[in-house]
Amino acid sequence: MSIHDEKYAKRIEATFAKYPDKRSAVMPLLYIAQEEYGWVSPEGIEEVAQYCDMDPTQVKSIAGFYTMYSEQPKGKYWLQVCNDLPCALRGADEFHKQLKEYLNVEEGGTTADGMFTVEHVMCLAACDKAPMLQCNFHFVENLDMEKMKAQIEQWRAEAKAEKK
Amino acid sequence: MVTNITKTVTIYIDDVSYQVPAGANLVDAAKALGNDIPVFCYHPKMSPVGMCRMCLVELGSIEKDRATGEVVLDDKGQPKVRWFPKLQTACTTNVSDGMTVRTNTKQVDQARENVVEFLLTSHPLDCPVCDKGGECPLQNLTMEHGPGKTRMNFADKMHLDKHVPLGDLIFLDEERCIQCARCIRFQDEVAGDDVLAFHERGRSLQIITNSEPGFDSYFSGNTTDICPVGALTTADFRFGARPWELTNVPSICPQCPVGCNTSLSTRLDRDAGGRAIIKRVMPRQNEQVNEIWICDKGRFGHHFSRGADRLQIPMTGNAPASLTRALQVAADKLKAAGSDVAVIAGSSMSNEDLWALKQLANGLGSERLGAWPPTHAGADLVAQVGVGKGTNLSALGKGDAVLIIASDLEEEAPVWRLRINQARKRGAIVVVANARKTQMDEFASETATFEYGEAPKFMADIEASDLGKKLAAANNLIILTGADGLTLVESRALMQSAANFLIKTGHIGKANNGLMSAFPGSNAMGLYYMGFTPEATLDIAQKPPKVLIVAQSDLIADDPSVGEWLTKVETIISLTLFNDALAGLATVALPIQSFAERDGTFVNGERRVQRFYTAQGPIGEATPAWQVAGRIGELLGQGKVKLSAAAVMLDITKSVPAFEGARYKELAHVEPQFPMIQKDVYYGGTAYENTGGLGVQIPTAADQGETLNVGEVFVPETPKVGKGKMLIIPTQVLYNRERTFQSSELMHPRVADPYAEINSADAKRLNINNGDMVEIAIAGASAIRVRAQVDGRAPKGAVILPRHLATNAVPLTATVGSISKVGQAAVVEG
Repeated sequence: MSIHDEKYAKRIEATFAKYPDKRSAVMPLLYIAQEEYGWVSPEGIEEVAQYCDMDPTQVKSIAGFYTMYSEQPKGKYWLQVCNDLPCALRGADEFHKQLKEYLNVEEGGTTADGMFTVEHVMCLAACDKAPMLQCNFHFVENLDMEKMKAQIEQWRAEAKAEKK
Repeated sequence: MVTNITKTVTIYIDDVSYQVPAGANLVDAAKALGNDIPVFCYHPKMSPVGMCRMCLVELGSIEKDRATGEVVLDDKGQPKVRWFPKLQTACTTNVSDGMTVRTNTKQVDQARENVVEFLLTSHPLDCPVCDKGGECPLQNLTMEHGPGKTRMNFADKMHLDKHVPLGDLIFLDEERCIQCARCIRFQDEVAGDDVLAFHERGRSLQIITNSEPGFDSYFSGNTTDICPVGALTTADFRFGARPWELTNVPSICPQCPVGCNTSLSTRLDRDAGGRAIIKRVMPRQNEQVNEIWICDKGRFGHHFSRGADRLQIPMTGNAPASLTRALQVAADKLKAAGSDVAVIAGSSMSNEDLWALKQLANGLGSERLGAWPPTHAGADLVAQVGVGKGTNLSALGKGDAVLIIASDLEEEAPVWRLRINQARKRGAIVVVANARKTQMDEFASETATFEYGEAPKFMADIEASDLGKKLAAANNLIILTGADGLTLVESRALMQSAANFLIKTGHIGKANNGLMSAFPGSNAMGLYYMGFTPEATLDIAQKPPKVLIVAQSDLIADDPSVGEWLTKVETIISLTLFNDALAGLATVALPIQSFAERDGTFVNGERRVQRFYTAQGPIGEATPAWQVAGRIGELLGQGKVKLSAAAVMLDITKSVPAFEGARYKELAHVEPQFPMIQKDVYYGGTAYENTGGLGVQIPTAADQGETLNVGEVFVPETPKVGKGKMLIIPTQVLYNRERTFQSSELMHPRVADPYAEINSADAKRLNINNGDMVEIAIAGASAIRVRAQVDGRAPKGAVILPRHLATNAVPLTATVGSISKVGQAAVVEG
């Protein structure tokens, strides 16, 4: 596991090409590290620091400042449910609660099999399609528990297929 | 920050008009006028950020008619002031003509009170157990501006970790931190090691380090001085004493040629049997030398002065003796030897000691005065074309250049590295030329390389190169040499070529131009002025005298080849701090006092004579070396021993022309310095005001227009490395196992295990892997066992072997040897 992996080479190269100096690329590279490790791991920070010619402390500082970088290990599917007021009015609170019960996790927790992390987030700007959530930064909208269960099964199947 | 004082503007503070330097920072300008605007995050040595809001003032400007540009007058005929609608941070404001400031209004008072109250909501108020208590900006400003009462419910206070080690040396108390970012900015802007940063945000904001080892910087201690609260404390002083119990004695750091001005904080200590001992070492302001910074070696390396290995009583033939008896034995031996006597003196001895030793030898008819360690030649060239009188590295900037050659300055003289890095940030060209990759490359604007043995040639030929032309064209040029990988002869040739280049390009005899060298010890220039030379040391080794006086020189630990000739010396008289191997060999071993127990002077690498004062109580029967030498002289009928170090110095000023004007009184002279680091610790931090003297810089021959004599440059042949052999390059690392550092136990985790760097190509050829135990064999020395570090820093064919890490001595200068893997399979350290 490393962002030195060949599959990222092109993206990294393209990222550096966009900026006048190396350290400007730190945020896109942190996303790549998060994608690779599932979170911004110490190894990821070290690798990004090397790429961007920065001290690892500075890279960690950036990862700590922005909330979309996770400095805790996350499940393969990172489910962020919006339960701000408009969503709550459309039953997001209840949906969030049921989802946690269904997956048997605490707020911010990860399922024992390392598949799903559930947490609530502030407005994702999709109030009209609530209840909704963001899975690994992609929207899943107009949800109810039935749809959600089917979606979860689909993700499980996808992960299984990937493993094979 | 050096402001241009030639141009001034008029500003109005609290309705009084003042002339201040144009463009000056408002806090600095007000400070100079005696108006203390309180600050937490602002520091005069760093860029302003306006984070703490403590410096809020009412700010306005004189209104001018837009059409005519004329000043608008109010009803009373006074210029009309246009005020900012809200208070402004003074620290982010530079003065401009007509600026109007109010610092004493109700609104400003209210703002200050509110800011303090706000900061205190998250502060634990644990002053009674805080190391900073008594010299704490937050404490002082709370007393001065704070509300006196809190509206905060104590139960609601956030409680955080109070014991976060940022490394082995610095602890963070997360509760006390007010998030001013002074430490972060210091590491980034001043130290150049940006290993501190903020993590998270809002109430979760904390200082972190992610370096390996934690807080990896040679300047980490300075962050505790500028921390405006007790959030950062040192492992050395933590819970050690209260600041108000301390007596602060001006001193000079004895560790390297920078000659940082320090303040030794002492206290009568129960643990030391009621004697006064050093509790901490703090920087003392000298803007020309170290500003308000010191490195961690200087700050934490003071423990040797009361180490368990100090020699406490005189010894004759390895048996304790009274001082009178020991001195008599020494005198008798010297008398019997006639003029067949020599002295080897260490590079961290004071001028007074050196002078007394010289008098003793001269009185016996000997001129054989050796300097130890004999690694750097060319101090005479620094005396001729050294940096001109008035040189200040802080003055270097755009259009200026510094060439650092054959030196790993970071390891040899850290504070010079810090200041030169700042010069580079101000726009100066900093060229680092070395035969290997060093930490310094990171701080260079460009680098140049040559092969080992080629340094003198590189310097001699520089004129014709593009680099040479660029350096020659600089407004100001300083060449800073080291002796990395050089033999003594090569180091002289390098210095000569550097001197020639400076003379040819006119970069001599004026401030901020000339030659500097990272000599060993704190008084290598003093050795030169007193007539001690490294060449004489080699001569002593060639033709050993009957009686050899060895003063404050760890010959056996420094040089594996001393055994060859030391046995030929009939009598060794050792003047020593430590009960070391040499003291065991000596016929007479006399304990001498360290820099902390007596007064004296050092000459730093910029030829500044600086005075240090008596700080702690004597150790055993140790006496100052000048007194030891003087008393032996008295027994030999050379006249009475001087009564004080000051009297010895008076003698020196009369006899050594360079020291004219360097009497103790003159050395103690102080002048106001900018920034004004005084008792209000919130402005500059807890660095000490200089009350002990700024010292006197010895002019160079070039400064005085004297005839210069660089001498014929003898560029030696590059040593032939035979088949199967490698060049062994001894180098200097800052944290090592020298006796003068070994007693500082808190530094032990930071001292590297013995290692040698080799190139990966060589490693492959010799079948050596990273982490393997290897043996380095050098003719005439016992084998040295170290771990191999296979990296890209060592050039091909060379073994980079740091001195004073392994138990066995490493050669003083570059030599030839072989390296091989030790038989059994080695374990790679994790």
